[in-house]
Amino acid sequence: MLHRLESLKSCTYDRMDMTVPERQAARLKWQQQNHVVQNNNPVELCASSGSVPRFQGLVGSNLGSGQMVELKRLEVFLGTDNFQEFLNFPVTGPEFGDSEKLDLLPPEAAADYCISRTSSCQMTALDTAVMKEEREDMVLEKMESTIVSGRGSFNKRKAETVADHKSKDKRIKGEGEGESEVKTKCSTEISRNSSKENSKASEVQKPDYIHVRARRGQATDSHSLAERARREKLSKKMKCLQDLVPGCNKITGKAGMLDEIINYVQSLQRQVEFLSMKIAALNSSVENLPTKEFPAIVANFPAAAKLPEMAGLPCFQLNPLQKESVNCMLNESMHPPQTEGIASASVSISEQSLSSSSMTQLQPFSTWNMDPQGLYNMYNMGFH
Amino acid sequence: MNPSSLKSRFTTRFLRALTKINAHKPISSSSPGPGEIFQRYRRIKVAADKSMAYSVRSRRTWSRATLWRLRTRSPRSRLATHARRSWVKTRSTRAASHGKEKKEDGGTVEAEELRELVPGGEAMDLCNLLDETAHYIKCLTTQLDILDRQECTSREL
Repeated sequence: MLHRLESLKSCTYDRMDMTVPERQAARLKWQQQNHVVQNNNPVELCASSGSVPRFQGLVGSNLGSGQMVELKRLEVFLGTDNFQEFLNFPVTGPEFGDSEKLDLLPPEAAADYCISRTSSCQMTALDTAVMKEEREDMVLEKMESTIVSGRGSFNKRKAETVADHKSKDKRIKGEGEGESEVKTKCSTEISRNSSKENSKASEVQKPDYIHVRARRGQATDSHSLAERARREKLSKKMKCLQDLVPGCNKITGKAGMLDEIINYVQSLQRQVEFLSMKIAALNSSVENLPTKEFPAIVANFPAAAKLPEMAGLPCFQLNPLQKESVNCMLNESMHPPQTEGIASASVSISEQSLSSSSMTQLQPFSTWNMDPQGLYNMYNMGFH
Repeated sequence: MNPSSLKSRFTTRFLRALTKINAHKPISSSSPGPGEIFQRYRRIKVAADKSMAYSVRSRRTWSRATLWRLRTRSPRSRLATHARRSWVKTRSTRAASHGKEKKEDGGTVEAEELRELVPGGEAMDLCNLLDETAHYIKCLTTQLDILDRQECTSREL
């Protein structure tokens, strides 16, 4: 009778590929149990001593002592399209046993039928609100601790928690995120459904209530879940990148962030080139040029003047070389200048040094003492 | 990745390469021609990239790609470069077409740009690309730091 049903249920729970109605039935059971725990705190949840766990009042105190909710019974009852009546229905064991027998035959059909309605029904009847994941956790623990159930129901719940843990383990392997972990602690269908609803439903937290998230039945759950996991991974990585790239705390959105990252990487690469050019110039020309002037020149420049120093030195030394090298560098990494970042500064400065090189080409070497000031002014212009 | 060990590894390699370059091409008394300086610059840049890639070994895709690129840089192995490019292109088109189904259009344009910037990023999906970018940025900043210090010391000499 019922045991057969329960064993069937436990079998289905153990299998990961549950059918949709079964999953939703289990979800429904979760909701019911949560609500039972919430609403029946003053009411004793006592174990059904009998071999057949009895279906006692589900919602509200007027139904008498609340006991373990049997999903099948609920489904069965809901399948008869009498949810409202059911609320006030004084349930006794034997009566239900009879009706149960009758409705056992098409359990799936009943489940199927009632699932589409239960969500809406429950919304109105039970006045459910959104539940946070930690609440679900608490509920799970509470359930396991407070409800001392009869044999059959306990088996069912145990099977479900086992299935939940299994699903949780399977999913944690891939993700390892706290949010999704907590999500998968609930039954699989809850997480799958709520994965869609998370973004839509707002969360209301009250310390005493356990709110159930609004859910609509979703057909293709695995895809949405995988996509959600992928999106969360991406956002996590974008956050890490945000820490690395300076000045992008204000920028939200993937496109803007990617733009900033691209600019930053380009500027870093260009800086490497500039510095290596500088080292090359310094190493090769350390004997040729008066070394005293260069520290003075360099010291006049502003603090963030890695690049202008770089552009400045070859500019003074060898104009063709400077032109060539800067042209190469500019050609390698040309992109429209941005308003922020070193990139714009580097481009503008290198362009200006390019122009300055053509100007200084005609000037004799002895006027170097004059030039630093001019170059310094130019660099200041380039920065502002 | 431990930054201090990366830094020390990179520093030792880079300084070694630098001394080798300086020793190999003695500074001529007359002013070196532009080509010479440019060549030296190329060598130093290559040395910097190489030492950075070697410090990271093959743990990262970008370091592997950089090492591969540096090895097959010479003209005689252009065929190898072409072969790799075509292989990379086929892989990237496959990966991109698979990934583009789920990506929005705005994201792919920047993703392509990023792929071009980060070495070895052509054949990666966005998720791994972001990982590689983060590591690459870390290494680039380390490289810059050491290059800057080197430049300062050589300037003061």
